Amino acid sequence: MSALTTVPKRRRRSIIARVGWPRFLQEIGMLAPAIVLMTVFLITPFVLSFWTAMTNQPLVPRPTPVRFIGLKNFLRILNDDLFWTSLWNVTRFTLWVLPVQCGLAFVTALILNQKIPFRNVFRGMFFLPAITSMVVVCVIWGTLFQYPTGPLNHIVVTLSGGHVEPIDWLGDPDWAMFSIVLLSAWQAYGFQMIIYLAGMQGIPDELYDAARIDGAGRWGRFWHVTMPGLRPTHVFVLVITTIQAFKLYTQVAILTQGGPRSSTETVVHYMVRAGFEEQKLGYASAVSVILFLIVLVIALIQRRLMRRFDV
Amino acid sequence: MSDLALSSRKPAASLNGYRIVQSISVFVIALVVISPLFMLFIASLKDDRFQILADMGSFRAFWVDNPTFNNFREVGNFAGELAFGRYLGNSLFILGSTVSLGLVINSMAGFILAWGSLPGRALILSVIIALYVIPQESIIMPLLIIVSRAGLSDTFTAQILPFVASPLYTFLFYQFFAQLPKELYEAASIDGASIFRTWWSIFMPLSLPALATVSILMGIETWNQYLWPILITQTDYARPISVAIATFFGQDSIYWDRAMAASVMMMIPILVFYLAFQRWFISSFVGSAVKG
Repeated sequence: MSALTTVPKRRRRSIIARVGWPRFLQEIGMLAPAIVLMTVFLITPFVLSFWTAMTNQPLVPRPTPVRFIGLKNFLRILNDDLFWTSLWNVTRFTLWVLPVQCGLAFVTALILNQKIPFRNVFRGMFFLPAITSMVVVCVIWGTLFQYPTGPLNHIVVTLSGGHVEPIDWLGDPDWAMFSIVLLSAWQAYGFQMIIYLAGMQGIPDELYDAARIDGAGRWGRFWHVTMPGLRPTHVFVLVITTIQAFKLYTQVAILTQGGPRSSTETVVHYMVRAGFEEQKLGYASAVSVILFLIVLVIALIQRRLMRRFDV
Repeated sequence: MSDLALSSRKPAASLNGYRIVQSISVFVIALVVISPLFMLFIASLKDDRFQILADMGSFRAFWVDNPTFNNFREVGNFAGELAFGRYLGNSLFILGSTVSLGLVINSMAGFILAWGSLPGRALILSVIIALYVIPQESIIMPLLIIVSRAGLSDTFTAQILPFVASPLYTFLFYQFFAQLPKELYEAASIDGASIFRTWWSIFMPLSLPALATVSILMGIETWNQYLWPILITQTDYARPISVAIATFFGQDSIYWDRAMAASVMMMIPILVFYLAFQRWFISSFVGSAVKG
């Protein structure tokens, strides 16, 4: 700072005067690849999506020019019952997957946070599905879901003593989304588990000791030390799970193609069908803008909540 | 005093019951998590696809009488039908290129943002953080226009280049470099090292944790890509194994034996890395989450 002010007769030394051309060019050269790639493959498509959403852009170029049609795509989407079904489906999926997946993750993390033997082995084991590709998970669960004689049905029938009929997991509109929930929670809960575990290990032991001296039992310590200490973790886990849930696609595309009777149609699947199969890219872009707005709102809510808990 | 002693003995007395519940739950969770994966590996060694399904309802799902690699031989071709050897190679090539380019490009950018002297670095950094909120799914349609108009349909480039530079990884590198001591940078400048050399010879060798984290996160992300390659690949040429496995589901009667073998082929590379670097994997995923 003082070096700057002692230089005579220069208003403000430019970067080149300060570091010289070679250094300046090197810095540009090192930063440019990332900036250029992000501009081409992230910022441009993002900005373009708002424009394409207001045109009748097809996937394959046609001789007729692309027309600007204003908000027509959005109006059409909002008037399409299938879109509302898909939005309702991902909401339904979210409401199911949040308690199942985060609950399982939370309980598992609580157990692994105790001094049990082989706990690192168990942690590594429980995280295994999270690094397994969704396609592979679909192959595995595709066999588990077999109707009427698959393993899951075998378990259901045996446990109920034959009182429950075999369930057509993926073929019954009443069950299909729940089956997708089971598979998704199984695949992804390891991630939430390690986040919870990290959150629990971040709570200082002194707080537990203090609670113990105050006469708090196991339950009291859980309720008055663990839970308040995990508040930011809860917010983070709930938000990240919700965002992921709204982007539900792969398992549905592979196992049910949105069926049966649109009971597993999701927003992303709806978008891909419009853009790729029906070749209506403008329309699909409008869906993607809506998807972005949903994710943005969830992320903003997270920011709000995080700020409240951190301060 | 006696009150205190009493209250501290109480949980100790119930400890055994608690321990039993704990052990049972761990065991049940382990069973639920591991048995489907175990079953996959066992089934891939069974030759008869109807037998695979028939075995599934019983403990025979976890046992194979005559293990055979026939399924792998059937699907492991490098050309023609069931060319999973090729698809696996494609996936590995895409993985290797994306991660190695990504490490270089994102770390260079992160380094300049942390230690460079270009004006506007703070602005660029905040734009990059803001970009992180855009989900891939919501730009994928316009990206399809850009990439196909550029004539990159059905190429490896289309599956590598768009994902090399990433706000998250640039930010992770920035964060890591920024917390390294200032003296390191100053010593290099005094010795007359160029900024490129400072990055490459001084900072990069100290960045093993950041390099590992980004490699793992990027590797998993690339390996599991599904939506984008489905949109952009039409032929065997650049098709990754994930898309190829999904095609088993398009058939009227699914060849589970082949699907299982192909799935095992897809799992093994990740599994090997995971078993070798498990601790790194878990801390990477935790690290990706705590950026707030």
